[in-house]
Amino acid sequence: MLILGIETSTMQVGCAIGGHEGVLASTHITRGKRHAENLTPAVRFLCEQSQVGLDEIGLVAVDVGPGLFTGLRVGVATAKALAFALRVPMIGVSSLDLMAFPVRFSSRLIVTALDARRGELYYAFYRQVPGGVQRIGDHQLGSPDDLASELLATGEEVLLVGDGAQRYVEAFEGLAKVELVEPGNRSPSAEALVELAHARALREEFERPDAIEPVYLRRPDAEINWSTRDGA
Amino acid sequence: MADATGDGGVGPATLVLGIETSCDETAAACVRGGTDVLSSVVSSQVELHARYGGVVPEIASRAHNELIIPVTARAMVEAGVEGDRVDAVAATTGPGLVGALLVGVSAAKALALAWDVPFVSVNHLEAHLYAAFLEDPELQLPMVVLLVSGGHTLLVLMEGHGRYRLLGQTLDDAAGEAFDKVARFLGLGYPGGPAIDRVAMEGDPEAIAFPRALMDGGLDFSFSGLKTAVVNHVRAHPDVSTADVAASFQAAVVDVLVAKARAAAQEVGAGALALGGGVAANSLLREQFLTACTEDGLHAFLPSRSMCTDNAAMIAAAGWYRLQREGPTPLDCGADPNLRLATF
Repeated sequence: MLILGIETSTMQVGCAIGGHEGVLASTHITRGKRHAENLTPAVRFLCEQSQVGLDEIGLVAVDVGPGLFTGLRVGVATAKALAFALRVPMIGVSSLDLMAFPVRFSSRLIVTALDARRGELYYAFYRQVPGGVQRIGDHQLGSPDDLASELLATGEEVLLVGDGAQRYVEAFEGLAKVELVEPGNRSPSAEALVELAHARALREEFERPDAIEPVYLRRPDAEINWSTRDGA
Repeated sequence: MADATGDGGVGPATLVLGIETSCDETAAACVRGGTDVLSSVVSSQVELHARYGGVVPEIASRAHNELIIPVTARAMVEAGVEGDRVDAVAATTGPGLVGALLVGVSAAKALALAWDVPFVSVNHLEAHLYAAFLEDPELQLPMVVLLVSGGHTLLVLMEGHGRYRLLGQTLDDAAGEAFDKVARFLGLGYPGGPAIDRVAMEGDPEAIAFPRALMDGGLDFSFSGLKTAVVNHVRAHPDVSTADVAASFQAAVVDVLVAKARAAAQEVGAGALALGGGVAANSLLREQFLTACTEDGLHAFLPSRSMCTDNAAMIAAAGWYRLQREGPTPLDCGADPNLRLATF
């Protein structure tokens, strides 16, 4: 069974195909046209060049965020429609989990942080466990200073990953025990998505297409303003 | 793939799945041959937006993303169509709310890729023109279409399929927008069109002489002054009857719409006049539109109320004509929130 992975939670558009043999093909585009323009042609290109027919895809995996709302919706809507049309199940994976996967061999505390815009970050903490990493606690939304304070409070050696860490580098560079992973590992990768989804597929953690939704972490502004007004 | 009985492989048996997510309705429909509606499913988000008095783009986009697959699946089940029997997938690519449009466009392109059938980009305004053909395939061209909704107020000459001329449009607010704003001001709730329609039944349309803007000035419209006049009148006369205000406001809007539509038909010598868009569900507009057409000897087309509001049957129909005329749209197509009607 082959897995198609779709990843659009940052400015990047990524897709990959893989299975038991690992990742067979992948493509990532960070410049040029936007998610909606690039994604479907990228999936078609990937299938054509790797000579994989869409009818060989047995599972569609998708990065469900947190991340940029519009990008996430393009990825999730595309992935759900593909799974619906191909009549295959889905698996949704967190963008922050995807960021932690490539650095899973570190014994330090791993923290992934993606740019949430408006001066905030989406972030989560991970610890090494046999066979990979495990998230400690929920995804969080906060300022770079919030995260810096949390990192200081742990007193631990920390490996900090993601475009959010890179963007607000000044908030973290004074922290002695925190190492920022250099650019090159700024965004979630579609390869990591296929590998993580494969592990979950072996445990049959499948989801129905209509059960997959983006993880927003932030309510629409109108709702926030409305509840503020109610409280006043 | 498309059947081989018609022009360019697109014919009476060609089945198009249409998808519409440009504003606050998630819709999908199966239409055969551009006219035979096998199913048309519309999931309205009106209740999600009601308390804000208008459509909130981020809330709309989130709801579309949740509803797009269930609504599409239902349209296919109701039509008794399996995925391998769909010949093309059409979606609205604009104009509309960009985040909302992108959900439908993304899903539609993915379906087309998975089923290996053409994708067709559809202009939402063009689709409203095709709503007329869905219900009355005998309509003769050229015809003038008065398209009035919450986002648009246009007078369009449709000379042939894909051949349009913009005759007039609003210079400020859309007619439906004026209904929403006045209804909100009067405390009548959202959406404003049906609310004012209902309250106006109890009022006197001649109670207050609200201005009819640009009545002698060509085929363009303006409604922002009318909205201000309503606000000023109510502030100056706090005891005025809300029903009279609603009725007089509605009469002013309808007078202008009907007068300009008649003038447009006369100016271009069209034999038919059609109404489209959400405001076309307004009772007074329907009544006066029919009267005007009868007086002027014009073939009138009034869509059913379900065809006035946003739906995907008109998207599938417009997609069928567009596919026949221009072929498939490349898969690197995105959404264009400001897409204009291709005119000549």
